[in-house]
Amino acid sequence: MSDSNEEYEEDIILADLSDEELVEQMFDDLYDGLKEEIEEGTNILLSRGWSAEKVLNEALVAGMTIVGIDFRDGILFVPEVLMAANAMKGGMAILKPLLAETGAKPVGTMVIGTVKGDIHDIGKNLVGMMLEGAGFEVFDIGINSSVEDFFAAMEKHKPDVLGMSALLTTTMPYMKVVIDEMVNKGIRDDYIVLVGGAPLNEEFGEYVGADRYCRDSAEAAAVAVAMVTERRQSSA
Amino acid sequence: MSERKRRSRAGGRRKKIAAREQGTRKYRPYIERNIPYFEILNEEGLALIEKNADILLEEIGVEFRDFPKALDLFKNAGADIDGERVHFPPGFCRQIIQSNAPSEYTQHARNPANNVIIGGRRTVLVPAYGSPFVRDLDKGRRYATIEDFRNFVKLAYMSPNLHHSGGTICEPVDVPVNKRHFDMIYSHIKYSDKPFMGSVTHPERAEDTVSMAKLVFGETFLEENTVLTSLINANSPLTFDDTMLGAATVYAEHNQATMISPFILAGAMSPVTIAGTVTQILAEALAGMAYIQLVKPGAPVIFGTFASAVSMQSGAPTFGTPEPGHVMTIVGALARRLGVPFRSGGGLCASKVPDAQAAYESANTLQASALAGVNFMLHTAGWLEGGLSMGYEKFIMDADQAGMLAVMLQGVDLSENAQAMDAFREIGPGGHFLGAAHTQANFESAFYRSELADNNSFEQWEEEGSFDCAMRANLKWKEMLKEYEAPKLDPAIDEALLEFIAKRKSEFEDRDY
Ligand code: B12
Repeated sequence: MSDSNEEYEEDIILADLSDEELVEQMFDDLYDGLKEEIEEGTNILLSRGWSAEKVLNEALVAGMTIVGIDFRDGILFVPEVLMAANAMKGGMAILKPLLAETGAKPVGTMVIGTVKGDIHDIGKNLVGMMLEGAGFEVFDIGINSSVEDFFAAMEKHKPDVLGMSALLTTTMPYMKVVIDEMVNKGIRDDYIVLVGGAPLNEEFGEYVGADRYCRDSAEAAAVAVAMVTERRQSSA
Repeated sequence: MSERKRRSRAGGRRKKIAAREQGTRKYRPYIERNIPYFEILNEEGLALIEKNADILLEEIGVEFRDFPKALDLFKNAGADIDGERVHFPPGFCRQIIQSNAPSEYTQHARNPANNVIIGGRRTVLVPAYGSPFVRDLDKGRRYATIEDFRNFVKLAYMSPNLHHSGGTICEPVDVPVNKRHFDMIYSHIKYSDKPFMGSVTHPERAEDTVSMAKLVFGETFLEENTVLTSLINANSPLTFDDTMLGAATVYAEHNQATMISPFILAGAMSPVTIAGTVTQILAEALAGMAYIQLVKPGAPVIFGTFASAVSMQSGAPTFGTPEPGHVMTIVGALARRLGVPFRSGGGLCASKVPDAQAAYESANTLQASALAGVNFMLHTAGWLEGGLSMGYEKFIMDADQAGMLAVMLQGVDLSENAQAMDAFREIGPGGHFLGAAHTQANFESAFYRSELADNNSFEQWEEEGSFDCAMRANLKWKEMLKEYEAPKLDPAIDEALLEFIAKRKSEFEDRDY
């Protein structure tokens, strides 16, 4: 009977699995958005002597890569990705202090907000979700964010990436106001700046002086990961 | 009578061509509906939604953010205030709206022949609103400019199937953000004499709109009559913000109309079900309209909604699907029960180009809106790409559909002439009706004639260039713009407007946000 099959699946004892089997199982559990199971799996791997960095990359990030691919390809739906990202966050919360101890960096950090005058945030939230899913720590400063708000958040969180979202032609030029101010303060090059929102295009991204315009959340995650990795390599 | 008429001289070719160019249908400033409303919920269903909306309003409440004036007004009227959250006793909003808001109103145009009545059994068809991009077959997709804006005002003015000049038909991105409202309002006044909508992106811009309208209509006339109808979106779920409330307040204080519109991408901004979504829409609209009635009892308000569902796969808005159609139908019934005019619908689609997807998605929403009993149909013509792009060809295609809606809503003529009994008596069994006296007397206005659809033979179509619909529409809009002649505007008013704009523009710096 299929029922008993399902029950059997729920009965998996994570601790009894080999490392390889456990990682495979964690891929599935991430895919299914099971936060507690991911937390348990993370702890088991750590107790077996895995470094935090190894757990992050080989279990969590690798698992979320599969989620990202299936989201992009339309197999997974937004609410499912949300649950997966949430499960990932559960694992990240355990790893974060350990990563800090060893000086290893998380995949990346990002401050994201919708610019002043603008309250559209559905797209921004999706971008935050996808980046969290990709292992980023995301500080979302919400809607209607002024230059001061962005600067305060950058000061506080020292992110790798600054993300700005705008959905109105009347608010998107404000991105330039923020970036110009970063240039004035001499901090522009300390950050990777990504911009997005439906009424933008690549040309506009260049005009405001961003590093990249991204058309959607899947692209935002891929670009953020790639750019942070590249930057770390070139500065190493 | 018709016998004799047929035999009399009609003026030959020259007269006929002139008459045909005039069109067979007389311009009507709005549609008068003569068919029943399409309704899908019975009394029990509608009452359930109303009850649930009342529960939402009381238990969860609605936030009025950064706008203490609203909190004060609601408090004085007897609602419960908790921070910025307003909790409404059952029936509170309904009672305020029903005892104050008009069930219909006239929006005056600068040409009185174009005045529209909004509400009751009427439908007013209005161009699309808000796109940052425009698109045409020649130049593709690009940011809109003030020239595009003027072009669309002209096309709407010339289209006999559109009754309104609209508002932010497209965003003139080449004009500074804090000054473009002047140029937009001026374009509506100068290049059209149909009614139009006001700026809502800042209370000050609403004030400027009112000032400009006063120059056209006169100060006392404006305070006593409605000459502007403007779009106020709720920030769903269950929130209104200071920008929108500020603009709405300005208009209401001057007795101008606002459409309070929960603009819902179901699944993201409301629950994923139809019943949940309409409950939220009703609660939000009730709260917003009650606020307007507290600002100025009797100021016209429209119960608006924009219904779309997000793709659960990507979060992107989708259009022309059945569920938002149902939402619209139910909200129409709720608005009629409340006794206020209803705004929704339009030629909505997600397609990027005027292709088959655009056509069927738009046809789905246009028909559903007409059947649902929409009174003010924003976004009737031009909408592409979920509102990101205003299409020249799409505009022409939708305007053609708009003409069909008018005929559909007019219903069925049952007059003696329409019963056509004479025709049967004349032709009898066999034979054909093309030459019948009844046909001769009625053929010209008998069927809707699309100016866009091609129903010629394959060979003729091929000989004429094998044009698809978008290509024919492309020729049409260019021809219309070439033939455009501006309606007369009193030079003194024009001068006063230009002077006002020059003065106001000089009072503050250009700003791009
Ligand atoms: C939903 C919506 C609303 C909702 C917003 C709800 C919310 N909580 O966000 C409400 C109803 C509140 C609203 C209000 C208004 N809106 Co609005 N709205 C939309 C709509 C239909 C969809 C936006 C959306 O959520 N899309 C879905 C998400 C998933 O897509 P997205 O936002 O593009 O995000 C994706 C990418 O762009 C990218 N991305 C986004 N941000 C970022 C950031 C970074 C860093 C990166 C890398 C990538 C990235 O990734 C995302 C995920 O894939 C658009 C039209 C459209 N088709 O886009 C109009 C639209 C943007 N709105 C418009 C307008 C005019 C308004 C109002 C002014 C209307 C009014 N008169 O009341 C107000 C303004 C309020 C304000 N002060 O901001 C216009 C803008 C035109 C213009 N002037 O530029 C549009 C184009 C519609 C139209 N034709 O009128 N709106």
